[in-house]
Amino acid sequence: MSAATTSVPGARAATALRSGPTSGRVVSAEWTKLLSLRSPWWTAAVTVLVAGVITYLSAQASSVDPGFDPVQSLPLGLALAQIGPLVLGVLAGAGEFRTGAFRTTFALVPRRWPVLAAQVLVVGAFALGTAVLTTTACVVGVLPSARSRGIAVDLTAGDTPGLLLGMVGLVVGLALLGLALGALLRRTVPALVTGLLLVLVLPIVLMTAADPLAGGGDPAALGALDAAATTTPLGTLAVLTPGTAAQLLATEASAGPMPGAPDLGPVGGGLVLAAWVLVLLAAAGLRLRTRDLR
Amino acid sequence: MIEVEALTKRYGSTTAVDGLTFTARPGTVTGFLGPNGAGKSTTMRVVVGLERPTSGTARVAGRAYADLPAPLHAVGVMLDARSVHPGRTAWKHLLSMAQTHRIGRARVHEVIAQTGLEPVAHRRAGTFSLGMGQRLGIAGALLGDPATLVLDEPVNGLDPDGVLWVRRLVRDLAAEGRTVLLSSHLMHELALCADRVVIIGRGRLLADAPVQEVVARSERAGTVRVRTTDDEALVRELLAVGAQVTPQEGGTLHVRGTSVDEVGTAARRCGVTVLELAAETGSLEEAYLQLTGDAVEYRTAGAAGGAR
Repeated sequence: MSAATTSVPGARAATALRSGPTSGRVVSAEWTKLLSLRSPWWTAAVTVLVAGVITYLSAQASSVDPGFDPVQSLPLGLALAQIGPLVLGVLAGAGEFRTGAFRTTFALVPRRWPVLAAQVLVVGAFALGTAVLTTTACVVGVLPSARSRGIAVDLTAGDTPGLLLGMVGLVVGLALLGLALGALLRRTVPALVTGLLLVLVLPIVLMTAADPLAGGGDPAALGALDAAATTTPLGTLAVLTPGTAAQLLATEASAGPMPGAPDLGPVGGGLVLAAWVLVLLAAAGLRLRTRDLR
Repeated sequence: MIEVEALTKRYGSTTAVDGLTFTARPGTVTGFLGPNGAGKSTTMRVVVGLERPTSGTARVAGRAYADLPAPLHAVGVMLDARSVHPGRTAWKHLLSMAQTHRIGRARVHEVIAQTGLEPVAHRRAGTFSLGMGQRLGIAGALLGDPATLVLDEPVNGLDPDGVLWVRRLVRDLAAEGRTVLLSSHLMHELALCADRVVIIGRGRLLADAPVQEVVARSERAGTVRVRTTDDEALVRELLAVGAQVTPQEGGTLHVRGTSVDEVGTAARRCGVTVLELAAETGSLEEAYLQLTGDAVEYRTAGAAGGAR
């Protein structure tokens, strides 16, 4: 009955080729998995479209101002389009757990964390592609207004290259933030709600509360310049939310600080966002490593 | 080879698996039986490293699952039909699995053909029937040509064709020297395809023996069924020789502590015409119900009464 106690059965027991999951293999598997779903393509398409359309409309609206600067209109579409990469990341991070596919995934890679690392790379790469297209859509969006005013848009001058880079960074950063939240919370709706709170609601609440003029302060007494230079605890807190940090990242370096907030600049904003992503990813990795998967 | 040793798994105050020890050997189909909530699935999840035991060990091919250098080649796993993203096609699902171990596309096509998934390979798994989902799960388990297979309820939802196919498949896999651990609540199915059964209830081992041995333990095994023109005379005769007789519905008698030959001879002695005479055989189902009678966690009063 049990004649074959020692030999590995199966004709293709080419033992040398029977090796397990390496980082590269896990990355290629995750790449196949991401691209084989419809949701990433949809969210990417909607992100690009919304960014282009909103930027076009905002630029049209502000092109009647005498001091209209097309470059300042570039990131306007991202205010709404930033939800796209967030959704993309959440779906990629929580999708496995929502559907039960994680059983297959982690039975194949029992060390688990290489899967999370591969997802970061894969979602990051997909989001980078989306980000480049989104930024291009924003540039295309401001061109009609610029032409109507006879202003030439030079993407290589002054702060503009930095701004474009920051816009790309915002899209990639928010996708990774979504991925980290999805992987940590493992359920789509809670992760998405948390993401929207952190990115949209909290920054607005804090910035409104932090504005020195909002607390009933006398604008005449403070003076507009002083107000910009004063930092408040709430303003500092606001800058440290991922939403405001992402917004800062896609702002011209010369724009100066937001009211009541310390001036971190685009690079500072990017670092704050990156710190959020890293901390959440570390928490997700810790949960993955130490807890049961049921 | 799967070796489970003194395995205990607790969730808070609930003990799902309680000191379970058994071995699934190469060349054998080991059936894993137990009522719902007995700890079968928990045990299987511990075996494949998704959960950590509270105490005790589970080893595959002599190692803890997490230490296997190439899990897909060592163990084929099918835990739950819901282990596939519904938005992904069968082909992409299997391809991504194969990529983790650098298994070629040819092999993916091979298991798709082997499991009869060709017509639906490029459909999203969410549109699959339960049976198709099971076939996809089995395809994934076969992908790495593993020496050990862990299959949780593989015949669940399959049509009669599919059931026959799985039965033949697991027999063939065992005949090739592989270890097959297969859980099912369809006892009849297990009796047909398993060599050995491991029966658990409330997380504890109730039996670990060859199927025939478990069947022989059942209450009905060794009982003689007889129907005659004059029960009264025969009962007197049988009681005189020390047999126990229980009347059954439909005018038959169940006689214990004797043999078919003796009952036949006794009938002739008292001049009774025998209309029906046969040895009852036990079934795995009965043996199982007897064993798990006290261990069933959720049962209805009606079901318990009808079981005997």
